[in-house]
Parts: sequence; C-alpha cells; structure tokens
Amino acid sequence: MRNLHEVKAGQRAVIVDVQGSSRFLSRATSIGLTRGLEIEMLHNEARLPLLLFGRDTVIALNREDGQQIQVEVVA
Amino acid sequence: MTSTAGAEASIALLGQPNSGKSTLFNALTGARQRVGNWPGKTVEKKEGYYTRAGVHYHVADLPGTYSLSANSEEEIITRDHIASGGADVVCILADSSQLSRSLFMLADYAGIRCPAVLLLNLMDVAEKQGKQVDAAELEKRLGIPVVPFVAADLRQYEPFHEAVERALKQKTLIDTGSLTAKYRALEGQVYEQVLALLPAEGLGRYSADWIAAKLLEGDQAVQAAVEEQLSAEKKHELRTFLSQVSNGALETAGAKFQWVDELLDGVLVQSGKKAALSRFDRLATHRRWGKPLAILIILLGLIASFFPAAPIMLAGGMIPQLGAPIGAALSAIGAPQLLIDLMSQVVLNTLYFAVAMIGFVFGVNLVFGFLEEIGYMARVSYVFDGTMTRLGLQGKAVMPLVVSFGCTIGGAAGTRVIDSWAQRVLTIALAWVVPCAATWAIVPVIASLFFGAWAPLVIVAIFVVAGLHMLVTAKVFGSRLIRDEDRAGLIMELPPYHRPRWGALLRSILVRTWDILSRALRIIFIVSLVFWLVTYSAGGSPDGSLLYRFGRAIEPVTMFFGLTWQTFLAYISSMVSKEAALGVLGSLYLGAGSIFSSTLGGSGPQMATGLSEALLASLSAPAALAFIFAVTFNAPCLMAITSTYQETRSLKWTLRILAYYFATSLLLAAIVYHVAGLFL
Repeated sequence: MRNLHEVKAGQRAVIVDVQGSSRFLSRATSIGLTRGLEIEMLHNEARLPLLLFGRDTVIALNREDGQQIQVEVVA
Repeated sequence: MTSTAGAEASIALLGQPNSGKSTLFNALTGARQRVGNWPGKTVEKKEGYYTRAGVHYHVADLPGTYSLSANSEEEIITRDHIASGGADVVCILADSSQLSRSLFMLADYAGIRCPAVLLLNLMDVAEKQGKQVDAAELEKRLGIPVVPFVAADLRQYEPFHEAVERALKQKTLIDTGSLTAKYRALEGQVYEQVLALLPAEGLGRYSADWIAAKLLEGDQAVQAAVEEQLSAEKKHELRTFLSQVSNGALETAGAKFQWVDELLDGVLVQSGKKAALSRFDRLATHRRWGKPLAILIILLGLIASFFPAAPIMLAGGMIPQLGAPIGAALSAIGAPQLLIDLMSQVVLNTLYFAVAMIGFVFGVNLVFGFLEEIGYMARVSYVFDGTMTRLGLQGKAVMPLVVSFGCTIGGAAGTRVIDSWAQRVLTIALAWVVPCAATWAIVPVIASLFFGAWAPLVIVAIFVVAGLHMLVTAKVFGSRLIRDEDRAGLIMELPPYHRPRWGALLRSILVRTWDILSRALRIIFIVSLVFWLVTYSAGGSPDGSLLYRFGRAIEPVTMFFGLTWQTFLAYISSMVSKEAALGVLGSLYLGAGSIFSSTLGGSGPQMATGLSEALLASLSAPAALAFIFAVTFNAPCLMAITSTYQETRSLKWTLRILAYYFATSLLLAAIVYHVAGLFL
C-alpha cells in the first residue's frame, strides 16, 4: 500500500482508504474519489497538482492532499 | 403558490460545476435576469423568470458545487435555499458524458422532500463518446422525470418544460429505498443507530434518512439544527455516538456511488474507449510546456478580442466628431454656451468612453468565454495552481492578470470565467497592480527625460515594486474576502473538451454586455460631469477652474508625497485616463488647453512642445520619480473602475479598491520621494 502521490504516471491503482478531516473527505468523495475506485495516474510532476483519471473524469488534486489517499497499485 | 394574478412556481437549478447550469439559466430567462449577491454573503446570486402556459416561473441558479455538504459558503447557500422552501421544484443537472461521477449530486439530494427533475445534460457530448443512456429506464428506477438534454440547443426545451410541469403536478420525489438500504448495510449499523435517535418525521424538507447520512458525514450545520429538536438526553446520546464515528463521509459516499452504479447498470452503455488525455491535453497539462502554452493562448486571445471589439470601438471613436455639428445646431437655435459645452464635451465623451469600453469588454468576454466554454480554462487553472495559490487566487486568475498588461478593463472583464465571486474581486484587486499599456506610454518618456541612460532602472524598480505590491495587496484583500476554511487545496475536474455553442455563448454575453452598457453610461456620465465641473473655466485656460484652485491650495500637503500642484492634478486626472497624465502636465505647465479636454480629448500621450524644458526646470529628480510611481500605481482609469464595478457588482468593494489604490499610490510616491531625496 502506498500514498496516491507516490503512484507513477501511467500506473493504475485502487483506492483503499481516504483520510483527513471530514471536510476533506466530503470534498474528495463528492468528486468521486471513494474506496474501491480504480484510477489511472496521468501526471505526477513536482510543483503541479496530481492529475488522475477515474469515473470517466480527469481530476486534478492538490499534491499534499494526495498524501491522505492510500492506494494499492494494480499495474 | 397560486395567486389571483396567475399561477406561479419557483425553480432552482442544482448541479456540479461544468454541468451546464448557466447555459440552461440563460436560455430560460434570457434578458429577464438579475444578478446580485446572496444576502450577507460573498457569493453571487442569479435569479430570473420566464412565463409559459400562463405560469410565471421564478428561476434561481444555485452556486455550482460538487455536493450538498456544508464545506463552503456556496454549499450552505445552496442547501438553505432548498430547505427554506425557496423552490417548488429542483432541476438537478448531470453531465451525461461523466454520468457516474456527476450523479453524486443526485445521490446527495435524495431524501430532501422537494420535487425534483433530473436533466441529463451534454447528451451530445456523451453520444460522441459512444455512450447511450436509457432515460426511460432511469426514470422508472428513480421515480422522478428524467430528461436527456442539450441545454445549449433551444429546440430541445419542450421535454424539459413538460418534465417540470409533471414534477410540479405530481410532486415527484426520488425513490430512496435502495439508497437507504445501502446506508443500512454500512459497517457497525451506524446508520440505523443514528436514525433511531432522530425524529421520525425528519426536519422540514429534510427526511430523517437524509439527516442521518449527513450526521454520519460530520455535518455541523445539520447537527445543530437537529439538536434543537431533541431532548437533552437524546442530544447527549447523539453527540456521544457521533463522536465515535470516524470516516463517515467516506462510508456514505461509498454507499452513494454504489447506488449510482446500480442505477446506471444496464442504463448506461459505453461502446469503445478513448484515451483520458488527448494529444493537445498532454501538451496543455505538460509540466514544462503547459504554462508557456497558456500564456501564449491568453496573449493570442487578447489580440483576438480586438477583432470583435475594433468595429465597436471605431464606431465609438466617431462619436466625439459629432460635437461640432451638434454644437452648431445648438447655437443656431440659441442654446447657451454652457449647454453646448456640456453636450459636446460631457455627453459625447461619455458615449465615446462607454462604447469604446463596451467594445473591448465584449471582445474579451467573447474570446475568454469561448476558451472557458470549450474547457481550456480548466487546464490553465491546473498548470498555474501552484503559482496563483501563493497569492490566494485560483489558477485561472493568471488570465486576467496577463490581460491586464494590455488593459485593466479587459483584465477585470476577464475575471468573469472565475466562478467564485470572492475570488473574482480578489483577482480584480490584484489586476489593478499590473502596469497596463498606457503606463508604458508615459513612464519611459518621463524616466528618460530625467534619468537618461538610467531610465531602464526605473522600469525594473516598477516591476519589483509591482511584485511586492501584489503580495501585500493579496494579503490585505484576501483576508477580508476569503474565509480561511474556504482556502482548500485544489480538487477539480478537467472537463472534456467540447465544441463551442456559439448561440448560447453569444446570447449570454449580449445580455451581460447590454446590462453593462446601461450601467457604465450612468457612472461615466456622472464622473465626467463632476470632472467637467471642477475643471470648468470660463476663459479656457486651466487657472480658472476649481481643480486648479484646489491643487494650489493643498500643494503644501501634496509636496509631502513629492507632488507639485501640477503633477498632483495630472495624477488626479490619470485616475480618469492614464494616458492623459502627460497632456494634463502640458496644459498646466504651458497654460494651454483645459484639463478636461487634455484628459478626455484623446490627444494621446505626446509631449507638448516645450514641456520637456518646463518639466526639467521645475521638477527635481525625486519629484519626477514620485510622480512616475504615483501614476503607475494609481487607479488605472475611469473605465477600469467602471468595469470593476460591473464585475464585482459591489459599489462598496469598488470604492474600497479605489481608496486603497489612491492611498497606496500616494504612500509609494512619498516613500520614493523621500528615499530618492537622500541619494539624488
């Protein structure tokens, strides 16, 4: 298991857990980042937000917030 | 809701960002809309109405939010509006091209006892992606009208209207049975335990089922409202129980998406699959090329905005030429000279200013509205997020800031693509710092006159000060505009690109432009009139005017800021038109022409013959520097101030920004003057 921001571009991963304040949980889940969702990391570059694809949507996510999402890499 | 005058109904539009709410709102209401702020809030409120089959429909465009939690002012407003009975029917918009994600709003709404309609918008985009949606089946599963829809296509509104009428008549509520079953299945039976503590009838429009889910999510506002209805004992029990629940929002969201996925099973059919990022998108979001590309596109956009603007501005530029014939006609019928002056100077100049400004605002709105509409601005937001959040802005704010190098009016108008009102005001406040093109028409002339080869150093100093100015201004205005809890890290969607809907885009821009023109005319007229009165002098030379006498009288004060009475008056005039600073200096130092006509007459930033000598003879180098800084960091011009008022729609904030720039530019002038005095 690792944090979302450690997933390399091109890798696919399944979200195992999301942590943080209920405010963050609510924000992250309302855009679709919930347990069991398989995402694909599109960009993971220093100084840019994470860019991932899940639920048919390209989602930009603040890097620091990516540390609060645990994933299991699948490929 | 029925009155003697005729039937009335209220509709609220609810949807996540990019779901097409504004397009629908504009199509429904056309020019019959009013934009303001929610009472006491820094969030924009859009209302309008339309009439159909004798029914008067009020439409409220609720702020675009991802959910109905209480995470931001926008979400609280949205929820309160529905809960307080502000709507008879809620139209929930979903993006059909990203259905599973965007139906989260529907899941979050389910359990609120207000009739609803589901609009599957952007159906055309979904079809192009190979997606088919069985709306009839979805309607059966949900129990509310479901309409496949393209909000930008006016020919498709019949089913929408029928669905709204049906929802109103049948009071259609979402069937929540299968959703609550998911909640009940949550680990530890937390849901049922909370539910047992709640009044079974719920609270107003909130059903007990909905409240229970929100309590698990840690929703403070809902908890406070519920506790008011509970006995002390039950309240204590509820608190104790909720304090043990962790990750509630994650659990309920899981349940909501399971429900959505079940709803869509067999309803949504996808054939073929496209890459997540197109080739263009790989470039647009590239770590190295994304930013230069964005700047390039913004600059091209700035240039492009002159094409639709030019004919309008050109037409506006011809207005002052009417002065002579109108003046002749007026004097032929024996009108007094004062009236003729007023007509040819104030009225015509007001028209000229307003039309020229409108032309540019229209161009900027069209071009950048287009970039927003097709989805590109979200990419700009992504690549500039890191840079702009340091100023407390969102990534998109880079566009108005870059445009402001050309013209602050365009910068202010360009903030329209920023969806939060508070963010928009903050962006405008910062855009005023950016030295516009007119600055470069004045500063180098004076700088090279006084500092010769050292002039470039003055330019460098201006940029350094502008940078620091932005940091300070961001702090000053940011702390008042944006609540700390609203400063959250970026979580946003980059919507799929889609072809522009020119009709819808033009319609919404024309409605806004017309609104702006009528208001701009009033402001510009009043300010021009006041300026004309204080600069009016019977003889035509400046020394007969009120402003002249005022400037002379307070010279002892302005000298503290390094401004002589002449440079101070030029500084005051530069708030009306920055290019005018040199012309006004010319009329003051050389005693030729009135201040009014050199400010508004459009003579341009030329040095009048003999002005260089006059300036060198009467200004010290520190005083020249003080003047440069005062004018550069002063309010940009009357039209930028007007444009700021249009976009903020707040006289209070416009005046605050104006006062702030007036004070800070004088302060900067004073610092520059006294510090330079030590060396020069």
